[in-house]
Amino acid sequence: MADDKDVLRDVWFGRIPTCFTLYQDEITEREAEPFYLLLPRMSYLTLVTDKVKKHFLKVMKAEDIEEMWFDFEGTSLKWHYPIGLLFDLHASNTALPWSITVHFKNFPERDLLHCPSNSVIEAHFMSSIKEADALKHKSQVINDMQKKDHKQLWMGLQNVVLCSSDKFDQFWAMNRKLMEYPTEEGGFRYIPFRIYLTMSDRPFIQKLFRPISPDGHTHTLGDLLKEVYPVAIPNDDESKHYQVVIHGIEPLLETPLQWLSEHLSHPDNFLHISVIPAPSD
Amino acid sequence: MSSCFLDEETFCQCCQLLLQHSHSLCDGWSWEQVKGSEEGYLRKTALGTGRTRCNLDQQGNSSDQHQERTFSLSFHNDDDDDDEDDGAVCCIQEESSSSSVVQYEYHILYSCSYQTPVLYFRASTLEGRSLCLEEVWDSVHPNYRQRLQHRPWDTITQQEHPLLGQSFFVLHPCRTEEFMMPVLKAALEEHRQVNYIVTWLSVVGPVVGLDVPLSYCTQVPEPPHTPSRSPQPPPALHSPQP
Repeated sequence: MADDKDVLRDVWFGRIPTCFTLYQDEITEREAEPFYLLLPRMSYLTLVTDKVKKHFLKVMKAEDIEEMWFDFEGTSLKWHYPIGLLFDLHASNTALPWSITVHFKNFPERDLLHCPSNSVIEAHFMSSIKEADALKHKSQVINDMQKKDHKQLWMGLQNVVLCSSDKFDQFWAMNRKLMEYPTEEGGFRYIPFRIYLTMSDRPFIQKLFRPISPDGHTHTLGDLLKEVYPVAIPNDDESKHYQVVIHGIEPLLETPLQWLSEHLSHPDNFLHISVIPAPSD
Repeated sequence: MSSCFLDEETFCQCCQLLLQHSHSLCDGWSWEQVKGSEEGYLRKTALGTGRTRCNLDQQGNSSDQHQERTFSLSFHNDDDDDDEDDGAVCCIQEESSSSSVVQYEYHILYSCSYQTPVLYFRASTLEGRSLCLEEVWDSVHPNYRQRLQHRPWDTITQQEHPLLGQSFFVLHPCRTEEFMMPVLKAALEEHRQVNYIVTWLSVVGPVVGLDVPLSYCTQVPEPPHTPSRSPQPPPALHSPQP
């Protein structure tokens, strides 16, 4: 029987083999070769693609380089979503390696956030953690932490790119405090989650949802979906139209939500859940 | 209003009352409903002034040879004994910026995580070019700029609009209860009506060029509240001790 801690490790060390190709209309001085990279599911595109930029800079003139951005099959990729989420949402049932197109011009202002430096990524990451703690603990745990503790969380995330056990431990030494709860409560106050949709204008659903019902019943993933996105659950006589994916797997709908929150959250302490069309083969 | 936190239903009620007054003034607020749900937000567009860079092209890129986006979030603390560089310093290059007419679009959404309203906005030149974050910072009235720089949680950042998925600027909500609590407490003690949204907007709106005429404060009532809602001690949403 797998130890729960093994789940944390497997999630932390998840990688996606990716092929970066320069957009054909970018101006180059000579042919640009594609660049291959193993992307950590837990991190963010702009945090781990310096090598990609350096690679393409070799064949381009400085004046043709503006802020780098990425697309997959015509959909611009939001760097502020964890990499694993982007893959599950857009490329789940496609062949590996994940083929991403790299751009240096015509930044889609309406759709993408700018990312001029790592401080922006840090601010975004910390902001998610704070929001998650507002939901779990009315912000008490995050506010009791010192600034150096916050830094440890951020450093831990930056180091997720290194396949090192120490870095995993460094992050979790701090993160475990955010995963605690008073025993008598049975779980967090509310579960930090977002359900991402591909077939809607709305990017995600986020609502208040308790892990334990007032009469002590443990809520499951299925209970959450029934309440906030019932479309995702097939009726008994129907075939499955959608897949509910977290970290590249489809957890059983009977899984307790509290357990999912403690073990399958991203480093930002949110459960990022993708609901995608089931493959029709 | 006895709690400085807002539940979603009261948010909607406050917005509807604001809307009624807005219609009488014809000042442009509307309610946008999310398809297939009870969620919605207040929306308004307005022309205002801002400081924009005149040497930027359609995509907001400088035609200057030495364009550098040196802007990053600055997290200065009032007690600057901790000189650690939290993030690069905020540099606002003012040399080539000038006052111009800017089209603003404001959205007031409800945050269930913080149980407060949140102000989202975007800004573009009349030619349709989106303003960048530096320009938005530059456009904040000097009276408010110091406050933004010294308190990280009041800062303006770029975020994804949770209902539309597009890029907006946002005034961070986590210090809302700090200014709302005294007002609501005083109103309770003096048996005065307070419409949460109107009060909140009159504080945060002017920071980003959105003025709230005084008649809102006198003419817009509080939604009728149920007696079962009792004052809750607010959780401490203050910044961590260094």
